[in-house]
Amino acid sequence: MPEPRFDEVVHPPTRLRICGLLRPLEEMDFAVLRDTLGISDATLSKQLKILAEAGYVRLAKTTSPARRDARRITWVALTPAGRNSFDAHVLALQEIAGTAPVRPD
Amino acid sequence: MENNLGAAEDAAARLRDLTADRDTLAAGVTPPRALVAAIGALAACWVAAALDARPGADYQSPSWPWLLAGLLFVILHLIRRDTGLKFRRLGARANGAIALAALVCLFLFSVSLGLVSLGLGWAVMITSLAAFTAVYGLAGVAFRAAVAQLRAVPHA
Repeated sequence: MPEPRFDEVVHPPTRLRICGLLRPLEEMDFAVLRDTLGISDATLSKQLKILAEAGYVRLAKTTSPARRDARRITWVALTPAGRNSFDAHVLALQEIAGTAPVRPD
Repeated sequence: MENNLGAAEDAAARLRDLTADRDTLAAGVTPPRALVAAIGALAACWVAAALDARPGADYQSPSWPWLLAGLLFVILHLIRRDTGLKFRRLGARANGAIALAALVCLFLFSVSLGLVSLGLGWAVMITSLAAFTAVYGLAGVAFRAAVAQLRAVPHA
């Protein structure tokens, strides 16, 4: 279990929610992430760019045979550094909220 | 004191948002029925491959069922693309359903070999149909269990 650590990059609501959705998955389609969060393409792209620059997410584009145009599917994933930061940040939030799990000595 | 209370409430609200998002995600994912049925069809084909085998002392397994394994990977890829989700872990319930489906197929394949050796090749149609039904059902259970498990994963 990581040590609780408040992370300014992860903390803003939209970025925290993005990390929370990506955490249990290996990868997630950009469109599914956008629809689940209920935000625009531009907003999600902006937040993902910040997370990617911090090394917390990676983006991979694949072609889609189902689409005749040049559009591609963008897969989004948390990096190991992103997972560690998210886990540590959630532990910090749980401590603040008073719901932190009991840590073994 | 008020600052502490405000911070605690804010943190609790953020954590509740995370749970709500996972619930929204899990509720929005629908099983791709056609692709799940395709997995059932592959199982039926594999069980029907007993017709192409020569049961007995000079048993020879048909080689073409390996193609079915390749097709299975294609279908799994299509399911990922269709749902937009690549699971890190499926969870115990989903893995159990997959293991049970494999066991059912092995059992039905063995029964089919027995039927062919007795000259009852026509009855393999029944075991194939049973394989389709069982695998279709269990693959659906595995998919739904994997999606439900997204809710259960702790945040940290």
